[in-house]
Parts: sequence; C-alpha cells; structure tokens
Amino acid sequence: MMLSTSFLRFYSPVFERCPAPGKCAALSETRCEYVRVRSAPPLALFAPASRKGPGQAVHGLPVKSFRSSPMALHGFGKSRALASVFTRFQKLNSRRVWEGISLWFAVLLMLFVHPLYAEANETDNVGQLHFVDGQGQWQEPALVLDSEFDIRVSGLIADTRLLRSFRNTSDQWREGVFVFPLPEKASVYGLTMKVGERTIEGKVQPREVARQTYEKAKSAGKHAANVEQQRPNLFTARLANIPPGETVSVELKYQQPVGFQAGVFELSIPTTLTPRYVPGAPIQSLSDQWQSGWALPTTQVADADAISPFTVNPGDVAGDSHRASIELLIDAGLPLEAVSSPSHQLATSRDGQSVTVRPAEGEILMDRDFVVRWRPLAGREPSAAVFHQSWQGEDFLLAMLVPGQTGKSVLPRELVFVIDTSGSMAGESIRQARSALQAGLQTLTSRDRFNVIQFNSQTHALFMQPEIATGNNLARARQYVDRLRADGGTEMAPALSLALKDSEGSGEETPRVRQVIFITDGAVGNEASLFRQIRQQLGDQRLFTVAIGSAPNRHFMREAARWGRGTYTAIHSPSDVSGPLQRLFAAMESPVLTDIQVQWPGQETGIESFPRRPGDLFQGEPLIHAVRGVAAMGELKVSGRLPGGRNWLKTLDLQQAAPGTGLHRHWAREKIDSLQDEARVSGQEPDKAAITELAVAHGLMSAYTSFVAVDATPARTTETPLASDNLPTLRPAGSQAGMLRYPQTATAAPLLIALGLVGLMFSVAIVLLQRRAFP
Amino acid sequence: MTRLLLLLLTSSATLLVFGLWIPLKAVLAQEMLELAWAENQARQTDSRPWPWADTWPVARLAMPVLNDSMIVLAGTHGESLAFGPGQLTGDDNNSGAVVIAGHRDTHFRGLKALETGNEIRLQGRNGRWRSYRVENARVVDSRSELIDTQQLPDGTLLLVTCYPFNSVDPGGPLRYVVRARISGDRYPREQIDTVAGI
Repeated sequence: MMLSTSFLRFYSPVFERCPAPGKCAALSETRCEYVRVRSAPPLALFAPASRKGPGQAVHGLPVKSFRSSPMALHGFGKSRALASVFTRFQKLNSRRVWEGISLWFAVLLMLFVHPLYAEANETDNVGQLHFVDGQGQWQEPALVLDSEFDIRVSGLIADTRLLRSFRNTSDQWREGVFVFPLPEKASVYGLTMKVGERTIEGKVQPREVARQTYEKAKSAGKHAANVEQQRPNLFTARLANIPPGETVSVELKYQQPVGFQAGVFELSIPTTLTPRYVPGAPIQSLSDQWQSGWALPTTQVADADAISPFTVNPGDVAGDSHRASIELLIDAGLPLEAVSSPSHQLATSRDGQSVTVRPAEGEILMDRDFVVRWRPLAGREPSAAVFHQSWQGEDFLLAMLVPGQTGKSVLPRELVFVIDTSGSMAGESIRQARSALQAGLQTLTSRDRFNVIQFNSQTHALFMQPEIATGNNLARARQYVDRLRADGGTEMAPALSLALKDSEGSGEETPRVRQVIFITDGAVGNEASLFRQIRQQLGDQRLFTVAIGSAPNRHFMREAARWGRGTYTAIHSPSDVSGPLQRLFAAMESPVLTDIQVQWPGQETGIESFPRRPGDLFQGEPLIHAVRGVAAMGELKVSGRLPGGRNWLKTLDLQQAAPGTGLHRHWAREKIDSLQDEARVSGQEPDKAAITELAVAHGLMSAYTSFVAVDATPARTTETPLASDNLPTLRPAGSQAGMLRYPQTATAAPLLIALGLVGLMFSVAIVLLQRRAFP
Repeated sequence: MTRLLLLLLTSSATLLVFGLWIPLKAVLAQEMLELAWAENQARQTDSRPWPWADTWPVARLAMPVLNDSMIVLAGTHGESLAFGPGQLTGDDNNSGAVVIAGHRDTHFRGLKALETGNEIRLQGRNGRWRSYRVENARVVDSRSELIDTQQLPDGTLLLVTCYPFNSVDPGGPLRYVVRARISGDRYPREQIDTVAGI
C-alpha cells in the first residue's frame, strides 16, 4: 500500500501543470483536442478508422485506436453462435478486461505524451541563455580558438608574436570576447588584425576612445579588434563581425623581461587563469542582464565581471579549440648547458649558440603555464651585462648586475607560514602547498620561532603566538599541515593582518628577523588593496611569496613580494617543489645587498632611470636597471651594503654595451609602473594623463590605453544579426573545479514507461483488430 | 505476425518494467536508508546502507509543506541518486553552503510545489535540525552556469533537480534550483532512535 501511494505521489500530478499564464493557451489547445476525442460518439470515429484498416487506425493520436475498441466489441457478436454460453461470457469478460486495460494505458499514455507538448513550449522561456541557439539547442561555443606563440629571446628580453585565431563554426555572424592572461611583466606594443589575406594595423588610443571606436565599427558591420588591459597580466580581446565559417585573427606583439635567478634563466607563458576569488558584497545593479563573466561586480572589485571568464573542462570546447603552438628561439649570446621545462616535454634543436624549443607534443592544451628554463655552461654565468638602443634619437640602456654570493645571517628568525586553503587550491595545488610547507618546517632550527596560519573564508592559526621550534611543536605543526584541506573563499586580508601583526613585547633581548612565507595561487580579484595593506602593515618584516598551481596569478605573487621586500618563487609541478624552494630558503637566510644606489654617468642632469628605488637583493638575484638619455659611455656605479655592514661597490663600463631591442618599451613600462606605485604610496589616483601620454608615445598598452584595429569597409550588412560569444578559458590542470557542475538529475524512467506503454498499446490494438478481422 | 506481436509485447513490457523499477527502487531504497540513517546517528559513523553501497546517509531532508521527508546520501554520482538525493557540498557543523541534488522523477518531484517562504528542514548526523526558508526558485542552464560554492553565503541551501519536471528527456541541460536561507528557528535535539543490538 505504501508503495502504491508513493508511486502515485511521484506520478500523478504530471498533467495538471500549466507552467506560465502565457503558455496556457498552447497547452489548452492540446488538451481540447484530447477532450474532443474522448467525448465524440464512438461510431463517428470508428467508421473512417475501420475503412482505412488497422495500419491507419492508430495513426495520429493513439487515443483513436483505443476508441475503436468499443466498436470491436460489437463485431465480436458474430462468433456468438459458435461459442457456448459460458465461453461467451468468459470471452466477453476478457474482452472487457482488455478494453479496460487499454483504456487505462491510453489515459496513462496521454499523461506522458502531454508533457512533450509542454516541454516544447517551455524550452524557449527560460531566459537568456549562453551557448544556446534560438531553438534552445546546446551548442559548443561557436568560435574555435587557436593560438600561436612565436617567441624570440635575445639577451634579457623575450619578444613574442601571439596570433589568436577565432574560427566561426556557426552560420551566424559572431563577435568573440576572450579574457586571457599574459606574462605579468608583458608590455604589449602591437596589434594586427588579419582578415583573409588582408592585415589591418591597430592603433593605441585612450581606453574609452578605443572602446567607442570598436563599438562603432561593430555596429557598422566592419571587422574590428580591440584589446584592453584589465590587470597587468589579464587582458580582454574583442573581435567583431567574424563571418560565418571564416577565421579572423589578432596578432599581438609583446615583450617581457626574462627571469634570471641563481644562474638560471626562466620564461613562463601563461595560457589560462585560475578563477579569481572576488571578495566584497555584490553590487546588485543589472543582474538580469547577461554578464560576460561569472562574478558580479562587488564593492571591493568593481570590474569583477571583466576578470572572471567562464572556466570549463577541455571536453567542453571543440576538440581543436584552446590549443597553442609555441616556438621559442633562445639566442642567449652565451653557450647554454641545458634547456628544460618543469611543465612540458620539450623538443629542442641547437644551431650554434641559439636553441629552438618546441613542446614535444606539438600543440599544447591551454590549461597550464608553459615554463622554460635554460642554464648557461657552468662558469659562464653572466655576472653583468649592458644593452644599448637608440630610439627616436634617444639613448636607452639596460644593465644587469649580479652581486656575488656572500655569507649567511646568524640572527635567530621568526617565521610565519601562511597557507592558502581556499577552494581554488583544491586538487594538486594543496598537495604542492603542503609539501612546500613541510619543506619549510624542515629548515627551522631550535633557535627559531614559527607559526602556521591557514586561511580560506576564515583565518586560523596553529599557535596563538609564534612558538619555539621544538620537536614537539614541529610535530604538531606537521600534523596540522597534513590535515589541511582546501575549501571556501579566499579572504586574504585578515590572514595578512594576522601574519604581519607585530609580536612586540615578547620580552626578548635579541632581535629576531621576522619573515612571512605566503603560499598561495594568488587567485584574487582585489590585488591593489592587498598591496596597499602589505605596505601599511609590513614594518620591518619581509614577505616572501610561493606561487602554487598550474596557472598562478604571477602578477600578484611578484608584486606582493616586492611590496613585502621579499622575493617570489613559483612551483610548477609536484616534482618541482624542492629546487625552487631550496633557492628560496637559501635566499631567505639574508638579503645579499641592501641600500642599493645606482649611479649612471651624468645623473645630475635629470635623466630618468627605473626602478627608482631598487629593492634589496637576495642571493642569486640580479639587479636590472633601465635608463633613458645616457649614451653608451662612461661608467655605471652600483653600491650597496653587505650583511655585516660592509660596503660593496661595483662599476660597469658602458662602452661594452651590446646592441639590444625593445629597451625603450621596457623603460616606458617601468616608468608607468613607477607612476602607479607612487599613486599607491600616496593613496591618490595615478597620473592618468602622464601614463596615457607615455603609453601612446611608446605605442604601449596600459591600464588607460588600449589597442584598436578597424577595417575600412563594412563586411556585414546592418540587417544581419550579430551574436556574441564569450570564450571560456580552460580549468588549470590538476585543480578541482571550484565551481560545481550541476549534476545530472533525471532518470530514464518516464521515457521507459512511455515507450513501454506505447508498445503495449500498439500490441493490444493489433490483437483486438486481428480478433475482429479473423474471428 | 504473432511472433512479431509477441516480440513487441514482451519488449514493451520489459521497458515498462524497467521504467517502473526506477521509482520503485527509489522508494525501496529510502526504506533501507532509514535503517542505515538511524544506525549512523546512533553510532556517529558513516555506515553503508548495504554492503556494496558506495555511499552513505548524511542527512535527513524534510519538506513539511509537501509532507515529505527523505534521507540524503553523500555524493551525487548516478548510482547514489537512484536511491536518494545526494549532497554535493556542506557538512554537519553548519558551516558553508549545502547543495543537495535529486532526481526530478523520483525524490525531488515535489520541488516545483515549493514556494517562497516555505520551510525546509535539514537534520545532520548529530540529530540537530536546521530550518531553512525558501528564498526563490529559478531555472538555470547547466552548460553555461556552474554552482559557485565560494560565492554562496553561509547558511544557504540549494536544492537542485532537472527541469522541465515532466520532460521525458533524461539528459536535458536545464536545472531547477530552489534556494533557501537558514532561518533562526531552532528545534530541540531529537531523541535518536537506537537500532536494536547497538
């Protein structure tokens, strides 16, 4: 009994539903038909059906076939004479039973057929849907994305041509919008749009002007491209009017300084981003409108929707979409010992001193950073280098200097480990973070104090106060670290406050060196306010960052470490934990050089050199300085203080400068950064006019200048509709989806029941007809 | 002809039986889960309702408006959803959001009748009931929208099922999401029934 009532509970209300007032008309039509058939006199219906024969008797609404059965009862009378009275009753009875059954089947069937109409009516009523065409059919993003990186490294600067092709696989005109990461120090200096055989050069314009130019061209039906900077390492490309079945490409040119640390050069090319956590309360303004990103603007991150592209699994995009081919030509100018990558298998070919590097698998999936490291032959590591370029009649110099490795610090330390256990760290990242933290605990000696702080939506510390690293405390810490799980939000500010809180008054006479090791993927949207916080709370402490995961926010890691007077290290894979960390821990022992003064010849005459205030240098770190207006002659003097208070001085002969390219852009980018730093320090708005002017003069993208390219003639008539596609980015490899997919929540039961009922009805109808025809 | 007919009859009957087996299984399983749930509460462990089960009861969900109550299982893989609604996220100690998904043909058929302000109650393994009030219900497209668990405020309960409710397509992309917020109502801890022999 219980079972049957439950069953009825599940199934009975199916047909009573009328989804929306507007839809009722359509629904009642179907219902009317149903009622009419039922109430029609049996004869009227039967007569045509019997003439047409059994095949067509069941054509159309199945109800008709069951309606024919009462008439079959009359025909049954013919066999009356042959049968005994008893069997006749029995047969009549069985016939009635069959009739009853088929009637019920028919009614049940109606209940199941009816929802089909309802569904057909409902599907286009569920609001604005992305990736769904007018018929409510699921479509993969209509645009297939292909990327080609062509990178040339010469000296200290890597120059990249990045070709992004958008192939329109639909039969509609499309606009493609793609949010993508670039290296954190990239200076974008060129944009070219390629339509078929033609190429259209892009121009630098102030951001708003560029956007207007683009929108105007878009509505006029012209091919147009626009690239904007959202964050120093996050950009948005828009491409209007991609014809159906055709490909339009954007070629970006950018340069970046090559990383050099402890004798190893490193270049990383981000291909995707870890979804950024957006703190703050959402600003409920236009929630009904389709957003380009998954996050709504909040009180703390006003452009959240612009930096939150949808993240999908590789299986959710077309098979050949989101692939990148990479070719890297390293012309280091000195013999190389080894080229390696912690992220991908490489295929390298050498030609003298230059090496060409490709991923061994050909096209790589854009789900992790592509990282290449190269190491000069032992003993041939550069300790100093100068490059020179004259651009528009002005001299630009770039100098690199590596201080020698020197002694270690002897002061006891107070180490605070801060580990990010937010949802974006789930999966491979939290394992890497845990092993990094365990490695960090191993470096502690019994003279050190330490603490472990974890944070996600909440902050939690292992000890109330930093404790002495006794065996017991260390064992507790190890256990604590092993139990860390990644879940929740990334509320970084309270964790930073707790970590940077000064533990004055611990009653010790020997001063301790206080250091904070921050282990995170940097997946936050409010970078700027965090940098401000670090600067305000830092005091005499140092903050070191360890980047975790396949696609960390390197801009955040680097800048947080810079504001925290520390250095940043990235771990790329589980096998890559020990090397970078060892370098970091070695570097943390003490800064090698502080109080650095850089003196270019003729400094007095107002030449501009950047970075304005070089930070402290750690072991293996080079000093890199760019200057404008200094000819390649004279001597560069760099002085600083070594640990222990000794002075250090080195001079560099500028006449030996090697020719370089792109130095003016590097210089301009440094100057823009410096202007923004000043604004951050003074708490004012950056000097927008100065940045814009500088960026336009050097043809650079910045927070206030964008690139735009517009074709001369319209390609699409204004009557033809244009659909917009926001291309998703791929989920970083090894990370768990911070956002859950909606699970599959329907069974095949209704389908099976409906099919079964239809089949049974057919059979019963045929049986009854057969009996009638051949008594 | 007779053979064909017989074939048609048997195959449709089989389909029907399979189709009816699914809701039947859903009902039967809930009965067995009741036992496992009582045991879980008594022992405070995750005991499996039957030896080969790959899931275990984690909560009891009650919808007083529908006069309905059911046992919620851990996880939402296809097998576990056949027996009861599955909990995607959330834990016993009231932190974070809870997301529960169920089949629209069986356990969560009644979801469409929920209206704003209706009460939903959830009992954790510790026996404590939490009361939620329905905030809204909306239809989402599972292909373009994900559940962003980080953005959900604490004390949110999401009930997810397929949409439209009376569709026969088991692989449809639309989902019906009922969003409820925890309300202040507290209920005294229920006496936990102990199963004989424990």
